Amino acid sequence: MKLQANSLYIERSGKQVLQGISFSVDQGQVYALLGGNGAGKSTTLLSFLGFLLPASGQALIDAKEVGADIGAARKNIAYLPESASLYEHLNAHENIEYFLQLAGSAATQAHIDGALDQVALAPDARLRKLRDYSKGMRQKVAIALAILRDTDILLLDEPTSGLDPNAIDEFHQLVRQLADKGKTILMVTHDVYGACQVADKIGLLHSGCLVGEFSAEDGNSIDTEVVHKAFSASAKSPSKISQTEPA
Amino acid sequence: MKQILLIAAGEWRYWLRSRLALGSAFIFLLLFFVTSVLSSWHIEAQSHSREHHQSEAEDTFLAQPDRHPHRMVHYGHYLFRTAAPLASFDPGLDMVTGQSIFLEGHRQNTVMFAESAASADFGGLSWLSPALIYQLFAPLIIILLAYGSIAREREAAVLAPLMALGVSGHQLIAGKALALLSFILLMLVPLLISSSLALNRGESLNALLLLAGFYFIYLSLWLALSLLASTVFKKRASVLLTLFGLWFGLNLVLPSLAVNAIGSESTAAGKIESDLIMMADLRKLGNGHNASDPAFTKLKADLLAEHGVDNIEELPVNFRGIVAMYSEKKLTKVLNDYANKRMMAELQQEQALVRFGWLSPALAIAAASRAIAGTDLIHYHLFQTQAEAVRFNFVQGLNRAHAEALSYQADINRNKDEDSWKKARVDASNWQVLDEYEFQTAALSERYSNAAQAMRMLLAWLILAIAILFWRGGSIKP
Amino acid sequence: MSIVNALLRETKFISKDRSVCFWMAIVISLSALSLGFGLAEVNRQQATIDKLLIVDQEDRAAQIEKQKGWGGAAYYSFHLSYDAPSDFAFAAIGLRDVQAWKHRIRMLALEGQIYERDVGNPSIALVGRFDFAFFCAFIVPLILIILLYDLRSSERNAGRFNLLEASTGQANNLWLLRASLRAGALYLCLIVPLIAAAIIAGTSTGTLILACLFVLAYILFWTALCFVVSAWQKPDAVLLMTLLGIWISTAVIIPAGARLAIDKAVTLPAGSDILMLQREAVNDAWDLPREATMNAFFERHPEWADYQAVEQSFEWQWYYAFQQVGDQKAEALSKAYRDGRLKRDKLASWAALLAPPALLERALQNLANTDIKASIRYEDSVRDYHAELRAFYYPKFFENQAFDKASLEGLPEYKAAK
Repeated sequence: MKLQANSLYIERSGKQVLQGISFSVDQGQVYALLGGNGAGKSTTLLSFLGFLLPASGQALIDAKEVGADIGAARKNIAYLPESASLYEHLNAHENIEYFLQLAGSAATQAHIDGALDQVALAPDARLRKLRDYSKGMRQKVAIALAILRDTDILLLDEPTSGLDPNAIDEFHQLVRQLADKGKTILMVTHDVYGACQVADKIGLLHSGCLVGEFSAEDGNSIDTEVVHKAFSASAKSPSKISQTEPA
Repeated sequence: MKQILLIAAGEWRYWLRSRLALGSAFIFLLLFFVTSVLSSWHIEAQSHSREHHQSEAEDTFLAQPDRHPHRMVHYGHYLFRTAAPLASFDPGLDMVTGQSIFLEGHRQNTVMFAESAASADFGGLSWLSPALIYQLFAPLIIILLAYGSIAREREAAVLAPLMALGVSGHQLIAGKALALLSFILLMLVPLLISSSLALNRGESLNALLLLAGFYFIYLSLWLALSLLASTVFKKRASVLLTLFGLWFGLNLVLPSLAVNAIGSESTAAGKIESDLIMMADLRKLGNGHNASDPAFTKLKADLLAEHGVDNIEELPVNFRGIVAMYSEKKLTKVLNDYANKRMMAELQQEQALVRFGWLSPALAIAAASRAIAGTDLIHYHLFQTQAEAVRFNFVQGLNRAHAEALSYQADINRNKDEDSWKKARVDASNWQVLDEYEFQTAALSERYSNAAQAMRMLLAWLILAIAILFWRGGSIKP
Repeated sequence: MSIVNALLRETKFISKDRSVCFWMAIVISLSALSLGFGLAEVNRQQATIDKLLIVDQEDRAAQIEKQKGWGGAAYYSFHLSYDAPSDFAFAAIGLRDVQAWKHRIRMLALEGQIYERDVGNPSIALVGRFDFAFFCAFIVPLILIILLYDLRSSERNAGRFNLLEASTGQANNLWLLRASLRAGALYLCLIVPLIAAAIIAGTSTGTLILACLFVLAYILFWTALCFVVSAWQKPDAVLLMTLLGIWISTAVIIPAGARLAIDKAVTLPAGSDILMLQREAVNDAWDLPREATMNAFFERHPEWADYQAVEQSFEWQWYYAFQQVGDQKAEALSKAYRDGRLKRDKLASWAALLAPPALLERALQNLANTDIKASIRYEDSVRDYHAELRAFYYPKFFENQAFDKASLEGLPEYKAAK
């Protein structure tokens, strides 16, 4: 399934948050939206979930507008919110079970354990209530939930925040594996290094405008330094940066 | 100290910028003033009508023509109770008790015509009074202002930097409490303004100040409870919810449950029931209408011996009148015994209810407020006791006229023919036996002692809440 | 079925929510408590009536024993009338703490007797009992507000809102399901004790079903209200205060205003005027020519019109005739007092449409026969009974029947109002 933004304009309480951005994510691709605070990254994700409807332009999933049938669009999406908040009074299993049921799917305990293994959540923690979890552990549960949803599209909002460096690496490997299995993944981050490591394409977002796009070629990852420079430049000057090809 | 003042000032600035706080305080004021004005009008109109009825009742009694005195005993008299001066602030029991009583010979009637029995019925809370607004709604305003005082700072993560500056938990709480106390003092201004109308009706300033003092303690208690919740709970939402639950638990649920408890535990026998038991006692006393009732043989013998005559016809007084006086006195003693027993039982029930003030400060403040306003059970009983004294005096006055102003011969022959019917009368000047009556509340010192127990409860609640607050305040952590 | 699955899912979810369980425990215990006290109070009142019936009988027998004529028998014998609590009164004690529900009347002018109030402690009437009707009408909405006001905002504050909405296709269904489950659980906690109490008290099925339906409609009303308000994207405190504001308006302010307005609009004659008028009439009769009294009496009782009064001697016929004429004189005022109260009640039933808590309480009191209408029905039945007593005695007086204690066995007995 393909994700596509066509000159997407979004307004939130009278303010233009996205000012006509266009990009697309193909099946099997990881697209990272990179940007500073308030650049409009999360807004982009929310528009694909139908929480925010475009003032003009389109958010398309499989060439169908999200707003036309929000329910159908959401069926195909697993969403990992920015601060993964789940129910504190339930344990990892119960949380995952509940949200899966909410989405109309189900998973056996073994499946859930498998997913939790994938995110490396310590087995002895799994039956403890979430109120005792660290931020990273909660994030792991949320990621496991996203995996178990087994949807074609994954929208990840700052997925690595709160994870330790080791876990971040493992997570990036996991994202790659999922993409290789044919998932379409759009992630939002301000971690330049991580984005370059995992993404096939990086979009640089600044003040609601897509100011640069970088692609990986021939199995090489995107050059961190180039992106970093562009990122800093965009933060200093609002003018558009021309697309720079990696070396 | 400076820090405390700064914190208090900061709190005021926050309120002045919060529409929720300002809006609620405004609605409270509006509601209070509308209720006060309506309540004053109502009491004023009622007092007028009752005074009018009272003087009318006295006039018609005095205007009765010459007739047989015993007929006046049955003609009877009415008493109307004028409202206590502070009843416009706290009508207390006045709405559910009758306000007029018919007095006649041989009987103690009940106080009749309660306003609530004839009014359009919308449930108990529709009897909104200025006092109820303070008891029920003022705590809500305090909760609304106070619930976020500490929890808000904690949620906004201001608590840590604040404490890093050297502000102690106690100082923080003291500052917030100072701001809230100043607000409570402001809240008491409308109370003083509205109840100052009572000064015109003869209430003393001390009573007003005492009333304001009680409400100050009560509202301070809610302040302490709110601050405590704000200190203990991490999230504002849980603070608000806890206080909200506490509010309706303490103000609406517990008082009614307490009524259930006392209603089922100790029951005062009703009037019909105690009257019936009394009737059996009374049968032993003899019928005062019938001077030849064997119950009066000793009276007769004593009287004959005293005057040194052989039969009642020779007595210088009318024996029938003597019997009427004698039996009325005996009867009244029994009636009073039973009335006192019933009132005592009611009072014990009431005291049991007030004891639940240890669980619900709303019950304690309501009892204290009624006691000071003079609208409590004790004053209701006072009216009944005073009415009984008036009744006994005029009935005995008439019986004395019966004994001294009407000859025995004329009396026993009254039904013979028209002429003797007319002869069996006494002069209308004998009707001047009525005491001029106006219901007065008890002296303030007495009302204060009636309120003392409730006040002790409120103080105990307050001290406990402050102590816990002090203890928790020392261990505030960001 | 997905609905069944969703229901199972949310039920399992709710059962793990400690605060919901806490409130359900509160509701079921308060409901049971209110009903338990209600049953006890109804039993107590019934026991009082049973006891009074016996003592009343004894007292009357003792008085009659001493009598030598019809006049004295009628004068000295009192008769108990009572309004026994209905089979549903345990749920709504209503006005039984304010209105008289028992009298002892005799053949004298009724107007002087019927307003006697043998009611209990006024403190009880003032604070009001915690009966099921009060609990349902006034407290339950507050608990519903607590359960529902932050249905969405709590998820929003906890940062789960987007995830929840993104996970389900039709998000509205989720909120609706959650709200109705909580409300439904609350309804069950209310109604199960009610049904149990109704079985104990032997309430008729029709009454019980109606009561359950009223409560259901009421819960639906508040649930819908909370659901709408909780959808606003406002801070929790604003949502809570808005709902509390609605509660205060409908439970306190509108009722208080409506009561004042209605009482002002429908003025009642002062009760004391009825009594004074009746007293004047009865007392003046002693001094009036007897024909004046008897003629007024014969207007109502033409069947005795050929009776010739014995001049200048005390006669019971005349005595009871002027008692009745006293009632006749006060009749217009008394009727105005009765009709005025009914009119106030009628207006109140319309005004209550704006005040749902009062509406439910009134509806339950209506079912329980503890409202003003029932109280006036009882009053009417006392009047009927008094008329029966007169109908029993008048032939004895006017036909100069010989006094016969045995025939007093045939005295009419009070029959409760229908």
